[in-house]
Amino acid sequence: VILLHIPFFSMPVVCTLTNVIHNLAMYVFLHTVKGTPFETPGQGKSQLLTHWEQMDFRLQFTSSRKFLSISPIVLYLLASFYTKYDAAYFLNTASLLSILLPKLPQLHGVHLFGINKY
Amino acid sequence: MATAAEQWVLVEMVQALYEAPAYHLILEGILILWIIRLLFSKTYKLQERSDLTVKEKEELIEEWQPEPLVPPISKDHPALNYNIVSGPPSHNIVVNGKKCVNFASFNFLGLLDNPRVKAAALASLKKYGVGTCGPRGFYGTFDVHLDLEDRLAKFMKTEEAIIYSYGFATIASAIPAYSKRGDIVFVDRAACFAIQKGLQASRSDIKLFKHNDMADLERLLKEQEMEDQKNPRKARVTRRFIVAEGLYMNTGTICPLPELVKLKYKYKARIFLEESLSFGVLGEHGRGVTEHFGISIDDIDLISANMENSLASIGGFCCGRSFVIDHQRLSGQGYCFSASLPPLLAAAAIEALNIMEENPGIFSVLKEKCKRIHKALQGISGLKVVGESLSPAFHLQLKDSTGSREKDVKLLQEIVNHCMDRSIALTQARYLEKEEKCLPPPSIRVVVTVEQTDEELERAARTIKEVAQAVLL
Repeated sequence: VILLHIPFFSMPVVCTLTNVIHNLAMYVFLHTVKGTPFETPGQGKSQLLTHWEQMDFRLQFTSSRKFLSISPIVLYLLASFYTKYDAAYFLNTASLLSILLPKLPQLHGVHLFGINKY
Repeated sequence: MATAAEQWVLVEMVQALYEAPAYHLILEGILILWIIRLLFSKTYKLQERSDLTVKEKEELIEEWQPEPLVPPISKDHPALNYNIVSGPPSHNIVVNGKKCVNFASFNFLGLLDNPRVKAAALASLKKYGVGTCGPRGFYGTFDVHLDLEDRLAKFMKTEEAIIYSYGFATIASAIPAYSKRGDIVFVDRAACFAIQKGLQASRSDIKLFKHNDMADLERLLKEQEMEDQKNPRKARVTRRFIVAEGLYMNTGTICPLPELVKLKYKYKARIFLEESLSFGVLGEHGRGVTEHFGISIDDIDLISANMENSLASIGGFCCGRSFVIDHQRLSGQGYCFSASLPPLLAAAAIEALNIMEENPGIFSVLKEKCKRIHKALQGISGLKVVGESLSPAFHLQLKDSTGSREKDVKLLQEIVNHCMDRSIALTQARYLEKEEKCLPPPSIRVVVTVEQTDEELERAARTIKEVAQAVLL
């Protein structure tokens, strides 16, 4: 993730890009794809749940979940520090919010507008 | 030089930090507070705890009475008075020391005592030993298994077949491999116990339709279609199955397969056919109910059968297209997690298949005998014959039931005992009364095999008639 230093963008753009790409990837893998890529026993119990909902047997606030919630926040703080709070700032904020909201326990199993329900 | 440049950038950064807009600092403060809250929050489960107070819990604990480990049962429970068979259950069976003609074992083609089958099994015993000591994935696959799978696939004219080591487990593992939670299965009310257990293990929604009643099935399918139209996204993800038996063990009737296939294509469901009793019985070459009705085998998605009846071996097989059967190699629980079929039984099954392929005349002989005894048993006072004339395993039920199942069972048991005294071995159809979904009425099950001669059939019909007269009047 931090290897985006290699291309010859300037530092602020790099940080924004890292933040945004990391949040996008996390959203797709944890909150969009449902079920499991391998066969599980339990006759399809987890067929309709995203990886985030299935993690740790649906217990909230376990250590893995806490780590994965805190890492985008840390990235956001770093990114906003390095971009000196300029125009791309709102992009960073929006992407942070979009990755923090699905992790709330209130949103467990909630599908807005029926997208991705089945 | 680089470090100086970096440091200068850092200084600029820190400067910018001081000039940061106010809302950003507030946001950062909120985020830091959020991090602290996350770090200190405990894990909890989402499902709500039960709202029982301590007092209610105590009350419940005090009310509980332990049930005895062995519940009291009556002295003449059938499991306590069983008949002891010495010797093989072939054409002449020795029950409790008395030699009888066997009208109770499902030995339809008489292959149980066949010297060729026995010789093949003995040769295989000498070569491989007795058991396989391992599941198929763990050094339990022998060449006889692959041979048998090949032969069965060729015999049934499908692409592939898969062997299970226990007949009951065949259909009970095949159904949960395909049908999961949220899928819908339409099944007949008279389905056998193995199918019921398979459906229970699959956790899918089960819709029962009346036995062999295609109008009822169509009604259920139409209802499901209307529900699907209300919620098309859910419908795209749910799978629909129809499970039917070729020759029902509980009633002796044949399923109306052409109509089932029509319904399948109309309502887009998949058919699983369970051919335990019809494999080796129906059809010109014994291929089962698909050959009997002349339907192409590609219309049926999965055929599952039990080798314990006609093939006189143990175990079961499923056959169908490769794409379907291959899935069971990893997700059929009875395939992956139990030891494979002992090679001597597999060799016996191969030899039995050879015999079946060599003389296809035995199937018509069997059909003749079935028709004959069916006709001979009509018109017994007090008993009615349940089952088609083509079915070699049919039931004799009481015409007017006495009202209580136990009394019926006792009456039928008397008839069976008298018949056994006159050296005709019959049995009652036994069910686990508490576990079956739709318990069939008590009945005597009569089985016709190829080995019974015509005069034995006549004698049996006469005996049953006389005994029924004596007992029921």
